[in-house]
Amino acid sequence: MDTPSQVLAAKIVDRLVQEKILTPDAAKKLSPLLAEGKLRAEDWRLPIELGVGKEDKA
Amino acid sequence: MSEPSLKKLTIDYLRGSVTPFVLPFEKGKKLTIVYGENASGKSTICDAFEFLGKGKVGSLESRGLGKTNKYWHSIGRVPADVVVTLETANSTCLAKIVKSEVAVDPVAARPRVEVLRRSQILSLIEATPADRYAEVSRFIDVSGVEASEATLRGLIRDMDGSREIAIARIQENQDAIGQFWSSAGKPGTEALSWAETEATRDPNESDLELEALAKLQAAYVRLGDYPARLKAAEAAIQAAATAATAVQAKADEQLQTIAKDAGEIVGVLEAARSYLQKHPDPQACPLCESTEKVEGLSQRITQRLGSFSALQATRVQVTAAGRNTQQVEHQLSALRDSAKKHAEEFEQARTGFAWSSDIEMPLASAPVDIAALANWLAATAQLIAAWKKAETARVDKKQFTKTLKGALKTYVENVATQQELDILLPDLTRTLEIVQEERRSFSDSVLAKIAGDVGRIYEEVHPGEGLNKISLELDPSKRASLSIGASFCGQAGAQPQAYFSDSHLDTLGLCVFLALAAMEGAESTILVLDDVLASVDEPHVERLIEILYAEALKFRHCVITTHYRPWKQKLRWGWLQNGQCQFVELNRWSSHAGMTLIANLPEVERLRVLLGNVPPDPQSVSSKAGVILEAALDFLTQLYECPVPRRPNHQYTLGDLLPSINRKLRESLRVDVKTGADANGTGIYETKSLTPILDELIRIAQARNIFGCHFNMLSFEFLDSDAVGFGQQVLLLMDTLTDADAGWPRSAKSGSYWATAGETRRLHPLKQPS
Repeated sequence: MDTPSQVLAAKIVDRLVQEKILTPDAAKKLSPLLAEGKLRAEDWRLPIELGVGKEDKA
Repeated sequence: MSEPSLKKLTIDYLRGSVTPFVLPFEKGKKLTIVYGENASGKSTICDAFEFLGKGKVGSLESRGLGKTNKYWHSIGRVPADVVVTLETANSTCLAKIVKSEVAVDPVAARPRVEVLRRSQILSLIEATPADRYAEVSRFIDVSGVEASEATLRGLIRDMDGSREIAIARIQENQDAIGQFWSSAGKPGTEALSWAETEATRDPNESDLELEALAKLQAAYVRLGDYPARLKAAEAAIQAAATAATAVQAKADEQLQTIAKDAGEIVGVLEAARSYLQKHPDPQACPLCESTEKVEGLSQRITQRLGSFSALQATRVQVTAAGRNTQQVEHQLSALRDSAKKHAEEFEQARTGFAWSSDIEMPLASAPVDIAALANWLAATAQLIAAWKKAETARVDKKQFTKTLKGALKTYVENVATQQELDILLPDLTRTLEIVQEERRSFSDSVLAKIAGDVGRIYEEVHPGEGLNKISLELDPSKRASLSIGASFCGQAGAQPQAYFSDSHLDTLGLCVFLALAAMEGAESTILVLDDVLASVDEPHVERLIEILYAEALKFRHCVITTHYRPWKQKLRWGWLQNGQCQFVELNRWSSHAGMTLIANLPEVERLRVLLGNVPPDPQSVSSKAGVILEAALDFLTQLYECPVPRRPNHQYTLGDLLPSINRKLRESLRVDVKTGADANGTGIYETKSLTPILDELIRIAQARNIFGCHFNMLSFEFLDSDAVGFGQQVLLLMDTLTDADAGWPRSAKSGSYWATAGETRRLHPLKQPS
């Protein structure tokens, strides 16, 4: 059974993908670390930088 | 995947189970109601589930016993004797005490159990906000996400700082470039484009010229020494010649004073001495070959040579003076060659580079004749200072370009940093907003769901009392703090502990427990409620029971223990939804028999059993049927508001009740009996009229009094079949009117008939015909 943090992390990365801040692949990798509180500053920055560079961003 | 259904719970020597006790579970029923008077073993059943699911015995806690393990086993037994076994449709799970702890085997089959006891019912309501938070934290604890959120917040703070620094540096760099531009005389239109052009210059350009200039100066400096060195060389030649002449004159003079042929004689003697050193003992004179005076010849030669020593010394000086003269002449020649060579090198340095126009050069080439060098040097002496000045100017220019380049590079880097952050920061900030929004929304929605469920259940128990607006709120100023509020007399957020009655608080506590238990894997949870109805006041008990029926279906299984006697009676009379629940009754506990079950049948089933006996007992059948018929007629007369004689004790006989259902009503009473459902799930019904049954009962109702109530000689004249027929008619009435599983048709929700739960029976009409 998912912990509250895991449920919440899944909701957060879904929103970030919807708003094209993250790619779906990056979101998949980010979600467990986000839930466990193990995200370092560079773990936040890098996928968002890559997401920002996406051409299909509106 | 749904969890397997329960088959049997066996309790060996846990607390009240002084003998092995088995609680079988009926197939297809998810609710088990365990009825028993006080001290019948109800709590032991709850303890057994808690022992198995949670590894503890909660009923002993908070009794001042300290660690309770030593009281878990039955009197006369030891901890190792305690075994609780739960058998399900596909597994058996066993729990026992090993080294004071509960060991479960297999662990994978250990059931999830939630237990609420009467003593705990107010624990969550009356808890401190922190303890209340701890109770619900498993649903809203998102500390992992909060930690990641803090990291993101720190990243944004750091990047904001970096952006501010970049902006400040850009300003500093712009100022520095502006100053360079000013010092360069503000060429072009503006500083930045000028700086970019300057920065493209090849730094080696001035390096090569500086290198050539250094070589030129070094070559010039080398030439500067030669005039002085020429003078010194010429003076040395002059001195050497003078010295040689003087020593030769001295030697000539010495020769004249000794003998004219002294020189030759010295030569002969020196040769003889050299010979005699090699041949120390000659037999004859090496010159005349005479043997006379040969003895001591060597000593005599040495003595004669001594007399010529002064001349010898002078002759050495003459030789040395000659050599010295030759040497200084050679040095002068070498000096001339060197001067020539260095003059040529200077010319190579001068002509081998394309000098800038601001660098002065000699008007004439450097002379290769050393004698002309002094004049040439004098004519070009001012050039050294000019070249130094040109060199300094170039070094300064190089440093200027280097500093300008550095400033421009830093400027470009900081502009790039700012641009990068200007793109990234809004996304990071938006990400933080999303994390915060989702976190708050998550906690709020979970708490709202819990509060909503609590309110919904509570409203069903206390409908229309307006106390259902329950709120659970996190205190934003405190960590892990949860407050509970309710609507009371129009005041929202009132503390229920302050305003609610004890009974209302008990109900609220139970509602909170049910809502929390259902939040987390209800379908895999065995819910155990230990005597929780005890403090609920009578008007609300029935509704609470109905709610427990409904809520129990959400769980894997629900076990409710109670000593609420009306529940037992209502179940016996089939007034409740018996189909959903299994009712078991415990005997009073005894130290030798322990916990035992009582067979408990609903009244209608008891009548069916009596009728099934061979032969049936007329008195028992008619007595039981009479009581059941009274219950059915009491139900119908109340449902249709039929007139009956008014009496203070509300006791009615069949003679009162049967006639009160008048002919018009009797002829209109019919029941749709559900016999199945079609492919769409719509019920299929068979309509049965109650008229013939009631007519027949009116005809034979006297059998009840004759056989079932008193000793009556009239019964001698009746057949036993009359009593049995009466019982069969009552049974037919009950089977038509009621459903053993769904209860009696009490609901008028349809607006056109009375129905049981699930509409397994539809009783028409809704109202007595006029």
